[in-house]
Amino acid sequence: MSQIPRWILPAAFSVTVPLPSYAVQYLTVSQAQKLCFPQADQFVTAHVKFTPAQTKAIEAASGEKQLLRGQEIWRAIKGGKLQGFFIVDYVIGKHLVIDYAVALSPEGTVKQLEILNYRESYGGEIRNADWRKQFVGKRPGSRFALNEGINNISGATLSCRHVTDGVRRVLTTYEVCLK
Amino acid sequence: MRSASNRVRRARPSLGTFVEITARGDDEAKLHSAIDRAFNAIARVDRQMSFHQSVSDVSRINREAFQRKVSVDPWTWRVLRAAQKLSRESDGIFDITVARKLMQWKYLPRRYRNVSEGNWRDIVLEKNCTVRFRQRVIVDLGGIAKGFAVDRAVEALKRAGVPSGVVNAGGDLRVFGLKSELVHLRRPAEPMRPAGAIKLCERALATSGIYFAQKRCGGAMVNSLLDGRSCRSSRELISVSVAASACMIADALTKIAFVLGEKSVPLLAQYHADALLLECDGAPLWMFRSPCDTRDQSRFD
Repeated sequence: MSQIPRWILPAAFSVTVPLPSYAVQYLTVSQAQKLCFPQADQFVTAHVKFTPAQTKAIEAASGEKQLLRGQEIWRAIKGGKLQGFFIVDYVIGKHLVIDYAVALSPEGTVKQLEILNYRESYGGEIRNADWRKQFVGKRPGSRFALNEGINNISGATLSCRHVTDGVRRVLTTYEVCLK
Repeated sequence: MRSASNRVRRARPSLGTFVEITARGDDEAKLHSAIDRAFNAIARVDRQMSFHQSVSDVSRINREAFQRKVSVDPWTWRVLRAAQKLSRESDGIFDITVARKLMQWKYLPRRYRNVSEGNWRDIVLEKNCTVRFRQRVIVDLGGIAKGFAVDRAVEALKRAGVPSGVVNAGGDLRVFGLKSELVHLRRPAEPMRPAGAIKLCERALATSGIYFAQKRCGGAMVNSLLDGRSCRSSRELISVSVAASACMIADALTKIAFVLGEKSVPLLAQYHADALLLECDGAPLWMFRSPCDTRDQSRFD
């Protein structure tokens, strides 16, 4: 479900990172669709492959590089009437790709935004048992492995700017391709 | 006790970072609507307390509170009042008017000119949620509002009947309910590597580090963690984590503990807070555990 469709991504995006990573799937596409448009009875696929002219127009209007070759778009329909657009977009976070969904009203205003998949590369092993020993004295070391144990991270704040920039690009995609 | 059979996790960009909400309970649809409310609370904090948005309370008082009284959202007023209290208690180490320096060092956009060299004492909080400044100071709530947002989100989840969960706003987080949570701390020198993990139950944890935030300015390395009295940036690559019952308090106390180190113990104890300083390689430098308080069920473990 979290597979990014090939036809949308440029080569640079699909390079896999050999580092261990921290990945969370928050919502699948269909879960997010239902949350954004609970009234809708139908989601009609309206994916777009950009023409060179469209890519240029989006870049000029948003000031963002358009790396994607296309955009996954669904029309949310209720009783034959358009409720809005559900758009999936991809941005690079600190190192890896973040998938998120934007729900737009038929007039193109942002109704809702949900992160679908969040990935962060995480280097090295956790020697938590040793670390804990240094300040709590003797305790049974915990046995969590990477990818399994990391649920919550505290520390430096990662900026969400890439996503906010991405939303600006999605809004111009609406202007160029859907309006 | 209700069984918490489902777990719903969602994330949205807000407060300049990624905010993640985890809720556990039986009814998935109810969990989702509770999370919606919690995100609404976070959005309200973001809208009113952002330095960047020109229509926020913070921007309005920065523009106008020197000339006239400005009325603000009751939430903004509460955060300002808490900030004032912490400034008094820390003798000015915590000071939201360091925004002037952060702006000079380009941590904040240069949106204001002719800012005076005042401090927290120049902020006057008056009745009916109004604010005025005695000097032309500017404020930034970046060191406290995120924690407050986490607390409001937890409140919204509890009010919606969610028995347990976690709200994590880019590293400032709060765990509520019966289930304890493991929280990994980033290594200051290599933030993409965890240093270790802490177990939390019914408690908030905030971490301040300068890992992603250090930069060169006028020949010297500077960072966004400032001593409000001297306006100098503090120490080299370390991180400070503080656990307290409220995330707003934990958030603000990290800044004080960062500057004061072991001298912050009386203030930490007053708030029944625990602190942990990590060296750049992630090794614990020192740690403080407040004397046990029956209200707090868990500590650094």
